[in-house]
Amino acid sequence: MPWKKREMRAFSRKLIHFEFCNLQSAICIETFWALLLVLAGYAAAWGAVGCDLNDPDRDVTRLFPQSTGYKTNYVSIDRKGGEPLLVKIETRLGDKFHGIYETIDVPYTIYEIFDNKKKIGYIHGVNQKGQFGGIQVFVSLDLEGRIKAFYIQKMTSKYAGKLRDANFGRQFLGLTLKDFELYDVASGKASGRVDAIKNPAPEAEADFRAALRATKKNLVLMDEFVYLPQAVSSNPGGTQK
Amino acid sequence: MITKFQVAYKNLLRKRVRSLLTLIGIALSAWVLVSLLGFNQGYETSLNKDIDNMGFQLMIMAKGCPYEAATMMLKGGTGLKYMKESIMDDVAKEPEVEKTTPILMAAVFDPNKGESGGVAGYFGIEPKSFIEMKPFLKFRQGGWFTEENGYEAVMGYEAAELEQREVGDMILIPEKNVQFKVVGILSRTGTQDDGTIFVPLKTAQKVFGKPDEITTLGIKVKKGIDSTRFEDKMYQLPDVQVVSLAQVKQTIMQLISTAKVMVLSIALIAILIAMVGVINTILMSVHERFQEIGILKTIGAMPGDIFKLIWIETLMLCAIGGVLGIGLALILSKVTGVVIRYLLPYSPSGGLVLIDLKLILFTLAAVLCIGLLSGLYPAWKAGRIRPLEAIRSEIG
Repeated sequence: MPWKKREMRAFSRKLIHFEFCNLQSAICIETFWALLLVLAGYAAAWGAVGCDLNDPDRDVTRLFPQSTGYKTNYVSIDRKGGEPLLVKIETRLGDKFHGIYETIDVPYTIYEIFDNKKKIGYIHGVNQKGQFGGIQVFVSLDLEGRIKAFYIQKMTSKYAGKLRDANFGRQFLGLTLKDFELYDVASGKASGRVDAIKNPAPEAEADFRAALRATKKNLVLMDEFVYLPQAVSSNPGGTQK
Repeated sequence: MITKFQVAYKNLLRKRVRSLLTLIGIALSAWVLVSLLGFNQGYETSLNKDIDNMGFQLMIMAKGCPYEAATMMLKGGTGLKYMKESIMDDVAKEPEVEKTTPILMAAVFDPNKGESGGVAGYFGIEPKSFIEMKPFLKFRQGGWFTEENGYEAVMGYEAAELEQREVGDMILIPEKNVQFKVVGILSRTGTQDDGTIFVPLKTAQKVFGKPDEITTLGIKVKKGIDSTRFEDKMYQLPDVQVVSLAQVKQTIMQLISTAKVMVLSIALIAILIAMVGVINTILMSVHERFQEIGILKTIGAMPGDIFKLIWIETLMLCAIGGVLGIGLALILSKVTGVVIRYLLPYSPSGGLVLIDLKLILFTLAAVLCIGLLSGLYPAWKAGRIRPLEAIRSEIG
């Protein structure tokens, strides 16, 4: 990976702290602009945009309370199986990848979760186009692919608060890809357990459906990358914490 | 007739492995040296380019440290200082000024960004004067605003990517709950513009409740003017601060100076090791050829001839090693740039290692000088060998 966001952030923090402590007020304006340039570099670090937890050390513990460590792996469709895999994923999702950001080369970050040395699950997030901005939907999954936690890391909407509320997330607990296979992302029609998920903000139907599409996409990707027999769950190049 | 160069060349070939290892040592030192000097000029060139890409050389801001504003922005508040837009007319009257552009920066806290919220930044700009300052800005999709006070937005490359926006999509300013239509997405510039959302100045003033106010006035000065004098002149305006991008550059260069000193130290150590390697190789060679040098002297070779012969060996080693090192630096310059970019907190866009002909010649000259200095003692020692003593000895 060209940049590690957390390391970059930690370095920027140290740099900012250094600046705060050492520079005299006379050069504070230069510092402001230097800071902007640093942040510009930081922004550039987001790159061809994947979906990472903002603060993995904090977020992993919150999303997987019994975890003691995690390993970060990076996977993309083009590296894993190329065009045939993309077609397969689109077929399973029931929708095409569209727009200039939902592409074959998007790097997906999979956090493998450990309880000491024993692997106990995964956390994975995807970006989804929402009505007013990008939505980042994370799920934590057990080793059978069952949702243990649902988390919208970022959403821009008047009703984002309702959709990010824990009560909304609780409706996803225990669901699997099998449940989402009955959800048609194109029409928004569902049956079974997914149909039981209530939209807490009917005014934000588009974002509600975007969240469901993101969850289904997330589960399909995880199935292809991790759970299917041919998938390699662990990347030897991954980094462990 | 066999020349001194041919003799020196054959002598080096006698102990191929030793000569090769010495060559590798010199080549590695030359590589480090040329890469370091290339980084020195490449970083500065790219930084200058980035600063030029900002479009203006001077900025005027309201008095009150914007650094505090940056802190507040990072912490989720606002606290920016504002000045009257009319200041633009006062500044534009100055004969040194070529162009000006007003900017209204605004930061809005979005509680739905991450676990504890985040800040979204917006730049209210006047498209006409802003474009004149930054003619290099290119669009990935769409174009600039169609109305001076419309609810339209142009997004920087990274901002659009993060928000998954395309032309025709809507964005929402949190807190204000005002919608803007995305009319353009900029191509990547490698500058702060990549992470910025631009909206028309008039609209920004209305939405953020700052009628006729701005945070920044960008100034492009005419060529050849005394910028320090002009800065002093601008300080005469009431309640403003002047920011020169030359100072910004200086600050960034100060920030990376520690890294530079570290790399320079490593380069110096590498050069010292290479020097010791050269001295060792040539001394060993002289030691092994003790008798041979004695015989050369008995058949008429003068101390000066022996001195030159040994010196030429050193010269050959350093010249070949230097060329190899420079070649290595040229081939690996992009990799070196990637490594440096990874290590430094801020790197400008563009190549970080710039190796030109002047630098190549300088490095080659430096390596040759270092080599010749290293060869001085072994050559002097060889020149002083006494013929009879050498012939009688059992060494060699």
